[in-house]
Amino acid sequence: MTNTEIISNLLTRQDTWRGRNRRLPRSTICTGHKDLNALLQGGWPASALIELMPQQLGIGELSLLLPTLKNHSHNGHLCLWLDPPYQPYAPSLSAAGIALDKLIIVRSKNIKEWLWVAEQSIRNGALLLAWVRQQPARYTQLRKLQLAAAESNSSAFIFSPIAALSAPSPATLRLKLDSQYIHQLQITLCKLRGRVAGAKLQLNLQQYPSQRTALNQLPTGRHRTYSDSAMLASQNSPLHN
Amino acid sequence: MTMRYQRQEIWLYLQFPLLSLEALLPELSPEQQSKPIAVISSEKNTQRVLCCNSQAGAWGIEPNLSISTALVLCPELMTLSRQPEKEQQQLQQLALLAYSFSPVVILPNERKQKSNNFKFSTRPLGLWLEISGCDKLFKGYNNLLQALAKKLQDQSISSVTGIAHNPMAAQLLCQPEFQCQLPTTTEIQQQLLSTNLSQLDCSTYQQQSFKRLGLNHVGDLLALSRSALSRRFDHQLMDIIAQLKNEKPFSARRFQPANSFRDVIQNTQGIFNKENLLFPMKTLLQRLCLYLSARYCHCRELEWHFEPLIGEAKTMKVQLSSRHNNWSDLLLLSRLQLERLELPRSIEQITLFSNQFIDVPQGSFNLDLFGEHHCSEQSSELIDRLNARLGIDALSRPTLNQDYLPEQASSLANIDKQTDDNPNKKSTAPQPLWLLTEPAPIQIRNQQLYWHQPLTIVSGPERICGNWWQTEQQRDYYLACDSSGARYWLFRETSSQRWFIHGLFS
Repeated sequence: MTNTEIISNLLTRQDTWRGRNRRLPRSTICTGHKDLNALLQGGWPASALIELMPQQLGIGELSLLLPTLKNHSHNGHLCLWLDPPYQPYAPSLSAAGIALDKLIIVRSKNIKEWLWVAEQSIRNGALLLAWVRQQPARYTQLRKLQLAAAESNSSAFIFSPIAALSAPSPATLRLKLDSQYIHQLQITLCKLRGRVAGAKLQLNLQQYPSQRTALNQLPTGRHRTYSDSAMLASQNSPLHN
Repeated sequence: MTMRYQRQEIWLYLQFPLLSLEALLPELSPEQQSKPIAVISSEKNTQRVLCCNSQAGAWGIEPNLSISTALVLCPELMTLSRQPEKEQQQLQQLALLAYSFSPVVILPNERKQKSNNFKFSTRPLGLWLEISGCDKLFKGYNNLLQALAKKLQDQSISSVTGIAHNPMAAQLLCQPEFQCQLPTTTEIQQQLLSTNLSQLDCSTYQQQSFKRLGLNHVGDLLALSRSALSRRFDHQLMDIIAQLKNEKPFSARRFQPANSFRDVIQNTQGIFNKENLLFPMKTLLQRLCLYLSARYCHCRELEWHFEPLIGEAKTMKVQLSSRHNNWSDLLLLSRLQLERLELPRSIEQITLFSNQFIDVPQGSFNLDLFGEHHCSEQSSELIDRLNARLGIDALSRPTLNQDYLPEQASSLANIDKQTDDNPNKKSTAPQPLWLLTEPAPIQIRNQQLYWHQPLTIVSGPERICGNWWQTEQQRDYYLACDSSGARYWLFRETSSQRWFIHGLFS
């Protein structure tokens, strides 16, 4: 390889820092949320490792990725979920427009397998969603995945526990996710090249009717069971008349 | 004579003079292979040299020598007894190789071989190819012949050829070397007419009658009129003459690849570690790929058998999604799975078997410029790799079922099961993305639901009934949240009034 070739190879990589030139044309993937696109300067960085750190599970961290997942699966690409914390609920995924036959769930037995699967998935162009479960992934391990992502065409999303926030990470983009109000996801930018960390964004998630109810105000009394209604129906049926 | 055919057939006869030896060589170690070796066949209680390698030839050993003479000439001669099954197996492989050069490959007739056992056992094995019309693919007949010669050399098989316009003549004109130039029609004709009659495949009685009649060359025989010939010779010879004159078509079944693939490599020394297994495995997979491209199909499953000298054989099945006609991919997958396998200490015999094939779908040639096929190819490759390394149980896929109870409406199915994506009932009520595998009971503290922390109900209820034919389930589902904004899917069982958490909105 000649010198110019090496340099041009280096320059095409996402993770090469290029001095003051902050307005680099980068390839991005649309997030499906207008405000978030603006925050991330176009969308999720392509060919990069993205680390998401939710304060807690269940605040809407997966809904954030639903538009991305939908686009990806409709282009015929595979999406791999590595060690999800719970079982994905197929009816709601299907209702969100995700092709279920493009979804694979993989359970790893140890961190070695976890890393191997993650790397294979990235290198084979699948969209990776990986949950760090067993033990916090170390810098060198994540660095390996970041390198794999930089060499391939795909993005990889890693869900780390909030405790990982204090540790350094090689990921191109790091976001902290928490929620102050219900149905509102607060996104805090922790790291993105060309942006100052600390920018915040409130994102409205899917709206459900929301009026809070205390338990003692709930409709009480035993609901009519099937056997009751069956008895009622038999009493009213024309056969008995 | 040539005017009778619209397209003149060109028959290539490939003869393998050392096949009996070469079929046995792979079992020997490299240092053994460099010694003088001869293959011995026993006929009528006498043991004679059938063929020998060049090292033995240097000592003056030649075919038809008796074994005692051979051992006198070269005391350190290594003698191997002939194994006709191995030769046949090797010949089948060579036929497969020839099949990639021409669609018409003909193996010597087995029936004739049995009736005429003595004749055929000493004659080296060979096969025919009809190569007219195959020149375009290889840009000329000479290129075709060169490519074939190279392929055979790669397999370390020595071969000689004969080329003519009919199979019988091609066999008669077999040269002592591999011809890489196609002879012209007149050359072929001249050669044929001047061939000695003793080369003709017929009985000794017939040969004697040729001598008595003063016929020395094939030309003399062909010059005689049909009536003159039929008075003197039997119908078998008349058949041969008719074929030589192109008057009668060659009636033999074309070679077709077998319905299943099985190949064995033996290693008498034994293989002690997995790294050393890869080399014979590679050879077997290369043969499989040749077979697959001949049959124009993909393989669904590979079955490996590793047999030790003593003890039970180990079997390893490699599942393949499709689109693997490349031996290096297959080797990689087999290798990944091999890492998980406990093998006996020493392996003597490796067998590769496969009988599950699917045809390559029509028009699956990758002609599109933008690589749309590429991504599905990549994904099936990824699935195969994960399967091979982690086992089939580690992979699953969420599937929809026709049921109302959430735990039954969604399940994790095996990856190789085809799913039908039917969005049946669209619920307007909120549904979570995560489901707990089993509903977890929730406590009630001070009129408040409590799971890790206090929960407040946001909306609901949605009633879901199901399973009425067994134990009836009637549940009211609510959306609840905790103080940090996490949202949960709760339900109250109407019969027992107990609260459970069933999922997380994420």
